[in-house]
Amino acid sequence: MSALVILPIIIFALLGTPLFIIMSLAAMVGFYFSEIPLVAVTIEINKIASQATILTIPLFTFAGYMMAESGSPKRLLRLAESTLGWLPGGVAIVCLVICAFFTAFTGASGVTIIALGGLLYPILSNEGYSEKFSLGLITTSGSLGLLFPPSLPIILYGMVTGVDIEKLFVAGIIPGFLLIVILSLYSIKNGSAKASTKKFDKAEAWAALKGSWLEVLLPVGVLAGIYSGKTTTTEAAAVTAFYILIIECFIYRDLSLFKDIPRVIKDSMSLVGGILLILCCALGFTNWLVDEEIPMEILRFMQEFLTNKYSFLLFLNIFLLIVGSLMDIFSAIIVVVPLITPIAAEFGVDPLHLAIIFLTNLEIGYITPPVGINLFISSFRFKKPITELYRASFPFLLLLLFALVIITYVPSLTLALVN
Amino acid sequence: MFEIVKKFDLAIEKIAQYLLVICILGMLGMSVLNIVLRWFEAHILWLEPFVRYLVFFSAFLGGVIATGKRTHIGIDIVGKYFESKKNWQAHRWVGRVIDLISLAVLVVLFDACLDFVAEEAKYGRADVFIGVHAKYLAAIIPLGFGLIAVRFLNNIILSFSSKYQFRTEDELDEMKEKGEEVQA
Repeated sequence: MSALVILPIIIFALLGTPLFIIMSLAAMVGFYFSEIPLVAVTIEINKIASQATILTIPLFTFAGYMMAESGSPKRLLRLAESTLGWLPGGVAIVCLVICAFFTAFTGASGVTIIALGGLLYPILSNEGYSEKFSLGLITTSGSLGLLFPPSLPIILYGMVTGVDIEKLFVAGIIPGFLLIVILSLYSIKNGSAKASTKKFDKAEAWAALKGSWLEVLLPVGVLAGIYSGKTTTTEAAAVTAFYILIIECFIYRDLSLFKDIPRVIKDSMSLVGGILLILCCALGFTNWLVDEEIPMEILRFMQEFLTNKYSFLLFLNIFLLIVGSLMDIFSAIIVVVPLITPIAAEFGVDPLHLAIIFLTNLEIGYITPPVGINLFISSFRFKKPITELYRASFPFLLLLLFALVIITYVPSLTLALVN
Repeated sequence: MFEIVKKFDLAIEKIAQYLLVICILGMLGMSVLNIVLRWFEAHILWLEPFVRYLVFFSAFLGGVIATGKRTHIGIDIVGKYFESKKNWQAHRWVGRVIDLISLAVLVVLFDACLDFVAEEAKYGRADVFIGVHAKYLAAIIPLGFGLIAVRFLNNIILSFSSKYQFRTEDELDEMKEKGEEVQA
C-alpha cells in the first residue's frame, strides 16, 4: 500500500470516522493490493461468531449497566463510607475503591464517571477537598478498576491474543491494587491536611452491609466460580447478568423489567455493538498485516536501535501512552495488540506481563491530554472546561506513570499470583 | 421529505431496539438454561452456537443504535476541536463527511457480503444447528451492514433539516440559553 492510499485512511480516522469503517476500509484496500477477493473481509468478519468467549462481552456489560442504573452505587457508597470513611483521606479512598469496583464491571466505558461522579463529587466537596483534587480524583478513578476481573478490556485482550483470560484476571490483581494504594496514599496526604476525619460507626457499617450484601457478594462469587472450576468465564458472565437482573428487578426493585431494562439494553448494546463491530472488521485488517509480515518488518527496524528487553519496554511505554491518549482502549487492543505481541515475544517479554503493561498504559491514556476520554466525560458531566480537567488530573497522571514504571520493570508483581 | 425520513429512521431504531431486547434476554435465558442442564448432566447441543449467533446479530443491532446516537467509537479529534470552539456548522459538516465515507465503505462491503452469502449457499453446511443452513447465518452480515448503511444515509439527509439534524448536548444547551426552540 502506498502512502497515497494510507494517508486518506489516516485522515478519515482523524476526522472521527467510526473505527469499524476505518478497519473495513484498510482491510479492503490491503486485500485489493494483495489481489485477494474482497469476500475475504466478510469471511474474517464471520469468524467472530465461532469465538466461544464472545458472549462474555454483552453479558458483563449489560450487568454493569444495570448496576450503574440501579440504587447499587448509593448502597455500595454507603458501605464503603461507613467502613473506610474514618481513615484520613478515607472519603477519597472510598471513591477509589467504589470506582474500581464499578469499572471492573462496566469495562471502563465512561459509565463509572456518569453513574458515580454525581454522587461522589458533592461528598468530596463536603469533606473539604478542593475542586481541583475532587475533579482529578473522579476523572482518574473512572478507569481505575480495569485491571480487575471481570473487566471487559481484559476479556477483549484475551480474545484478540489467545492468552488465557482466567490467567489474565489473576495477573491484573496485584498491579491493580498497586494503582489504588499509590492513589490512596496521595489521598491520605491531601486528606490529613485538608479534610476532616470521621469515627468508625459499627452500627452504621453493619446496616450498610446488610443493605448491600447481595451486591458485595458478586465479585467474590464471580472469582470463586471461575477459579474453583465450577464455571467458565462465559458461564460466569451469564450468571452475573442473571443475578443482577433478579436482584435489581425483584429484590431491590430499583429497575422495572418492562420500563427500565429495555432502555439499559439499548444503552449497553450500543457500546457493545460498537466494540464487536470493530473486533469483526479489524480481524480482516490484522490478518492482512500478519500475512504481509508487517510486525516482523517493524521488529527488524526496531532491532537496529533497541538492543535489549528493557529499552524495548521503555519504548513500548512511550508508544502505548501516545496510543492510549489518541485511541480508546477497545480499538487500541484490537488494532495494536496483534502488532506488538510478536515483537514483544522476540524481546522475551512474558505475554501476561505484556498484557498488564499494555492495559495499564491504556488506563493512563484515559486521563492523558489531549483526548483522554475520561477528561471529556468529566468535562461533560461536571460542565467544566477541558483545560481545567487537564490541570486537575495532572498530579494523578504523574502518580499513575510512577506505578507504570514499577509494573513494567518488576514483572514479578504481575506474575507472582499466576505462578 | 424530512418528515418521512425521520419516521423511517425511528422505525428502524424501534425495530432494532425490540430485536435487541429479545436477543439479550434470549441469550441470557439460554445461557443460564445451559448451566442448569449441565448440573443434571443433560445437553441441548444447539444452544451454544445459537447463543453465539444471537451475540453476533446483537453486535449489528447495537451498531444500528450507535449509528443513530452517533456513539460509534472513533478518533474524534477534528469533531472535538470544532465542538470545543462551539463551531456547530463546521462540526455538522465534519459529521456529513464522516457519514458519507461510512456509507460508501458499507456499500462496497455490502456487495462483498452478498458474494459471501452466495458462496455459503453453494458450499456452506446445510445444518449448522437445528436445520439452519449456513447461508441464512451468513445473511446476518449484509443485513446488519445494510441497516447501518441506511441509518448513515438517513443521518446525511436529516443533517440538512434544521428540525431533525443531530445536535450535541452543548449545542442544545446553547440553544436553550438563547431561548430557541429545541426538538427532542
